[in-house]
Amino acid sequence: MTFAYRLAALTLAAGLAAPAIALADGKSLFNDNCSACHQVTGKGVKGAFPALAGSPLVQGDPQLVTTTVLNGRAGMPAFKDDLSDADLSAILTYVRSSWGNKGAAIKPADVAKARVAAKAGAKARGLQAH
Amino acid sequence: MSLVLSGMEALGFSQASATELPPDLSGGAKNTKVVILGAGLAGMTAAYELSKAGYQVQVLEARSFAGGRCQTARKGFKHTDLIGNTQTCEFDEGHYINHGPWRIPYHHRSTLHYTKLFGVPLESFVNDNDASYVYFEKGAGALAGKPIRKGEIAADIRGYTAELVAKAASQGQLDAPLSGLDREKFIAYVVNEGRLTKDLAYKGTEGRGFSIHPGAGVDPGPGKELPPFAFKDVLDSNAWRVLSSVTGYEQQRTMLQPIGGMDQIAKGFEKQVGSMIRYSTVVEKIKQSPSGVTVSFKGADGKKGEVTADYCICTIPLSVLKQIDVDASAPFKAAMEGVAYAPVNKIGLQMKTRFWEEKHHIYGGHVYTDLPGINSITLPSYGWQGQKGVLLGYYMFGGEAARISAKNPADRAAYAVAAGQKIFPEYAENYENAFSFCWHLAEHNLGGWAEWGEAGRKEAYPVLCQPDGRLYLAGEHLSYLGGWQAGAIESAWQQIARIHARVQQA
Repeated sequence: MTFAYRLAALTLAAGLAAPAIALADGKSLFNDNCSACHQVTGKGVKGAFPALAGSPLVQGDPQLVTTTVLNGRAGMPAFKDDLSDADLSAILTYVRSSWGNKGAAIKPADVAKARVAAKAGAKARGLQAH
Repeated sequence: MSLVLSGMEALGFSQASATELPPDLSGGAKNTKVVILGAGLAGMTAAYELSKAGYQVQVLEARSFAGGRCQTARKGFKHTDLIGNTQTCEFDEGHYINHGPWRIPYHHRSTLHYTKLFGVPLESFVNDNDASYVYFEKGAGALAGKPIRKGEIAADIRGYTAELVAKAASQGQLDAPLSGLDREKFIAYVVNEGRLTKDLAYKGTEGRGFSIHPGAGVDPGPGKELPPFAFKDVLDSNAWRVLSSVTGYEQQRTMLQPIGGMDQIAKGFEKQVGSMIRYSTVVEKIKQSPSGVTVSFKGADGKKGEVTADYCICTIPLSVLKQIDVDASAPFKAAMEGVAYAPVNKIGLQMKTRFWEEKHHIYGGHVYTDLPGINSITLPSYGWQGQKGVLLGYYMFGGEAARISAKNPADRAAYAVAAGQKIFPEYAENYENAFSFCWHLAEHNLGGWAEWGEAGRKEAYPVLCQPDGRLYLAGEHLSYLGGWQAGAIESAWQQIARIHARVQQA
């Protein structure tokens, strides 16, 4: 099925919740959405999920790292349907400035720009998968 | 590849996955050796068909059991995920959850070919149930945050829509596309579709249910129909998002499941090819030469070893394969990066009574919901009217699945039970134990299935469908039936046909 109901519902939720959360807590958003694989330490799981701590990609080109989170890459899922621009900016900024990382902040507008450039968010998910 | 086309197909009436039968591998195997990496459905399909055709086959499997993602958790099933959560399934005897594949669309003839061949008994899988609930919290109006039966929503939204259309058509407001007899037929169809009255109004319909069911005598006698919801409430609820004219291709209403668990299919294959499988053997390196392929592995005892063969069929998911030392061309290796793997969560919850059947009259099917991290709750299609049952407490994929998977198993279960309690008042008091599985945290999988983006499908996928030297990839990830067992089987069929053609030409 090709319904977009989750996308619509999430957009609604994000619209209400995002401004408060985004400024407050990149860390808790990271722990919530990313730590299952990359771990709260940012060290990942060897042989399975890459470390973000010390990663050149994470600290490098803002557009590349943003597009990676939006669209996924290799084993990593796309987060474009699950997280708002504000949430993604908070998470990316947190990741780029934690565990010794020294990357500049990424603003919600930068995420929005990357989203457009990557034509992200165009395809919605079905009711169930398999 | 030889396809046997039935008469209907020859006439173009086929409505099924592309390939019905395995390829014809006649003509001799010429002492050819094939090493197969992975004893999932793709690997075992290749092993079964190639060995039958005379090939010398060895299968290396990382796990201590065959099946790949075709797994079933029942009493004693043990799983440790990559972040160290260990669970041992505690369901009662006879109960199970299919935490991998769990249903077979009727048109997946390749899967059904093997269930029939191996005598794996099937039963109906209820993939659609009008009596089941839709529970949307994020809608608005009187129906938001209430469990509503899908059939009630369907009757009302279609009825009201039909009323609008029928009235407009009868008043000549839809004359542009319709005229004369067409208009009459169209109105007749819309009246039928929406179950409208003679004056083209929707006033509810008996099919959506009764507050007092019809019965014997004069009391209850004819019973009392439930009145329709208000059109605006139905629209505001968002619950109509679960409806459409037909199901998606992959979400057929008629589906099947093996009796006793999906792993009966894996066991069916294993009976045939088990002797060729070397278990608990993790591939470390794939090296090619002009004349063969050498696979280095680490065995259960930690000892390293090698297998050399003429050809290699590798069914290891790309999420895992790209981290293995593979001797392949640069474009081939680059293509492996062109796909993402889906985080996927499932949880089986054992309930001490089947309250969904007894109190809610729901026999199988899905409760669709917008509760975060849940997506759908599925009532079991096995063990009707038994004492207990294991239901699927969530089936979530994507970023939300990643989120819930960060919790430990006890917290995942608590999360799932609290969500279900919003829909069924009997949920929490009936809950006994849980078994949860996160495919992205499963070693040797690192994801539920391959998700090809548009660019990956166009650029990377075709490269990986072709052999690289003597290395052939197979699995659901190399099909347009991604995430389905049929994709794994048909991909294996395609690759063994290619190898066989090459052997015949050599």
